[in-house]
Amino acid sequence: MANGKDQALLTEFAPQIERTSLIQFIWIFFLVGVIAAGFYALYVQISEGHIVTGMRDNVVWGIYIVNFIFFMGVSYAGALISGTLHLFRAEWRKPIIRMAEFITIIALLIGPCYILLCIGRLDRLPYLVLFGRIQSPITWDVIAISTDIFGCLIFLYLAILRDIAAIRDFQGIRLPNWKRKLYRILALGYVGTPEQQKRLHRATDVMAAMVIAIAVIVYSVLAWIFSVTLQPGWHSTIFGPYFVIAAVFSGCGVMIVVMWLFRKIYRLEQFITRKHFVNVGILMLILAALFGYFTFSDYLTKWYGSERNDELLINLLFDEYYWLFILSNYVGVLMPMIVVGFPKLRTINNITISAIVVILALWVNRYLIVVPTLESPYLPIQDSRPAWLFYNSTWVEWVLTAAGVAFFALAMTVGSKFIPIINVSEMQDAPPPEDEEILV
Amino acid sequence: MLWSVILLVFFSPILSAQEEASPEEAEPVDTYLSLLATYTSNDTVVLLASLYIRHGRERIDLQNAQIIFTASGEKDQVEVGRAFTDSTGSAHIKVPLLNPALPADAEGMITYTADFEGTDNYLSASEQFISKPARLEVSFYEEDSVRYIRVNAQQHAGDAMEPITGETVFLFVPTLFRPLPIGEVSLDEEGTGSIEFPMSLIGDSLGNITIVARIDENDRFGYVRGENTCSWAIPKHLFSQDKPTRELWTPVAPIWMIITLLTLLAGVWGHYIYAVTELIKIKKSASKEKSEEKDWSNYS
Repeated sequence: MANGKDQALLTEFAPQIERTSLIQFIWIFFLVGVIAAGFYALYVQISEGHIVTGMRDNVVWGIYIVNFIFFMGVSYAGALISGTLHLFRAEWRKPIIRMAEFITIIALLIGPCYILLCIGRLDRLPYLVLFGRIQSPITWDVIAISTDIFGCLIFLYLAILRDIAAIRDFQGIRLPNWKRKLYRILALGYVGTPEQQKRLHRATDVMAAMVIAIAVIVYSVLAWIFSVTLQPGWHSTIFGPYFVIAAVFSGCGVMIVVMWLFRKIYRLEQFITRKHFVNVGILMLILAALFGYFTFSDYLTKWYGSERNDELLINLLFDEYYWLFILSNYVGVLMPMIVVGFPKLRTINNITISAIVVILALWVNRYLIVVPTLESPYLPIQDSRPAWLFYNSTWVEWVLTAAGVAFFALAMTVGSKFIPIINVSEMQDAPPPEDEEILV
Repeated sequence: MLWSVILLVFFSPILSAQEEASPEEAEPVDTYLSLLATYTSNDTVVLLASLYIRHGRERIDLQNAQIIFTASGEKDQVEVGRAFTDSTGSAHIKVPLLNPALPADAEGMITYTADFEGTDNYLSASEQFISKPARLEVSFYEEDSVRYIRVNAQQHAGDAMEPITGETVFLFVPTLFRPLPIGEVSLDEEGTGSIEFPMSLIGDSLGNITIVARIDENDRFGYVRGENTCSWAIPKHLFSQDKPTRELWTPVAPIWMIITLLTLLAGVWGHYIYAVTELIKIKKSASKEKSEEKDWSNYS
């Protein structure tokens, strides 16, 4: 199966799979430690109840829901980038498409966990299936996310099948017997015959298209959970496309950061060049403009209508949450536009820093959608304790947030130990990279 | 330089903690006490006190604190009871108004006082509530095939009762979360008021329903409550449907919604099945290739 070019690439990537350096071990132990702290926080939450979080009768959703929306958005962006670039056969995508596929599935597995953390009575979860109402957006979301997970898993498997077969056959790599057996099983006997290639390409094309469509539907359903309510701040007709744009925007940021990290860790400068950062950065710039437009449109409509409840929300945003609002809707929008828009600023490091700002800004954006809206309720709750009118997050929620991020990083790290982070099989057909000046 | 900043950040909480006051030096905290007196139709008064402290914007209820309730008039003062606050910081007692009669002033107003004597950690607090005893009676009657709710309000005047005139009494039906308002009556010169019984009310399976009459936040009488039960409501079981309609809020979804969902799911899962089928065929073709190679090698 592995031809000459494959073998050359596999020889280059073999150390990444064969060996784990001391620094990588320390990194993995650190991540495991953070996840362990997360399990302790989970134990505290289960044993003492949700009183250890900041969620109360008024503000019933907090950081957990924000994390759920954030991770689902990142997953969608990964699906869009990998699916779209696959369908368009863009040559430049080949070195980065594996990272996008990993981001898709890992974020998709982490996101729904935060819903489970938010639910107080997990023993009642089966009721969702036994007594679920088709009319409920929650039911739609459960169905959509389950379908999306299956689809993305199938797509990822199709995408890595050729690489698994290549590693199975490559003798120049030292692997333990269990790992070699695992590759043999997962390779499904793929040897690259014309018939097998044809079937694989067809299935991958179909799944690439489906993954894009499913991701749009999933994220729109997630948006509709908010927008079909009458809650001021949520009841908006543009929430569906607004969420989709924001999702891809945040996912581009994560994609750039992941590219930068793997480029540094595995010394992939000749594969992931400035061109890749600029291309994903331009996508980020376009999405920043769209995101800014949707945000402006949404808030202008609310402000101009001068409805009492909308005014309460906007006053709260510009009063208590002023700096967070500026970060999310000004800095997060303008920074990538400026950095990527001006050619002189378009360096790998600058684009990565603006991507980090975008990630933070979009997380804050989700926070501003969820929490201040609940703090300015549509129907005021009578006799509510003053302490419960405002949301104050607790250490339990932050530690579990950190654990989710750590799990994401750990899964990416461990994944790169099983499958080359660069798509070896597709790279064999790639034209030589352009003679770009490497700025970092 | 960087390391000195990092060390400063990590160790500053330890350094600043030493400046905090030790527990022995903490001053007693201010407490807040509220008191309500509600008169009921069997000539009792329910005294409800709430004790709490403030911590920033937060209100913290104090549990297990003893509240002493007294009633006083012009000259006399009697202790009417003591109670401990529960987990919500509330303490309540029921006190009969008569036998013996509670002390009152010349106008018949009784001053109720709730006292918290304080502890080493909490300052004492006291609150008063002044009101005149009153009674609300709810009754039902039918006239010309129309059903009515009658409210009769009386106030204590020495040993006798006098009608309360000119006040507004609100009528409610107790429900799961909040009382359902069903109307209000204005009291005439005889202290009586009537409204038509709402025929759309739903009771229990026998049609029984409780009607509550209330005077709230009155300058003279404070809070007065009376209730009574009748069987004029619609029995609950009449509303069971054999075949619910297809709506957004009923157990059965609209047809178009079911069809749309099934169509989308069929389309998506159909593609998944196609992809998995292709994978199975890839595996089968590999097995076929292997067996053909074996045949050739055996043949040769």
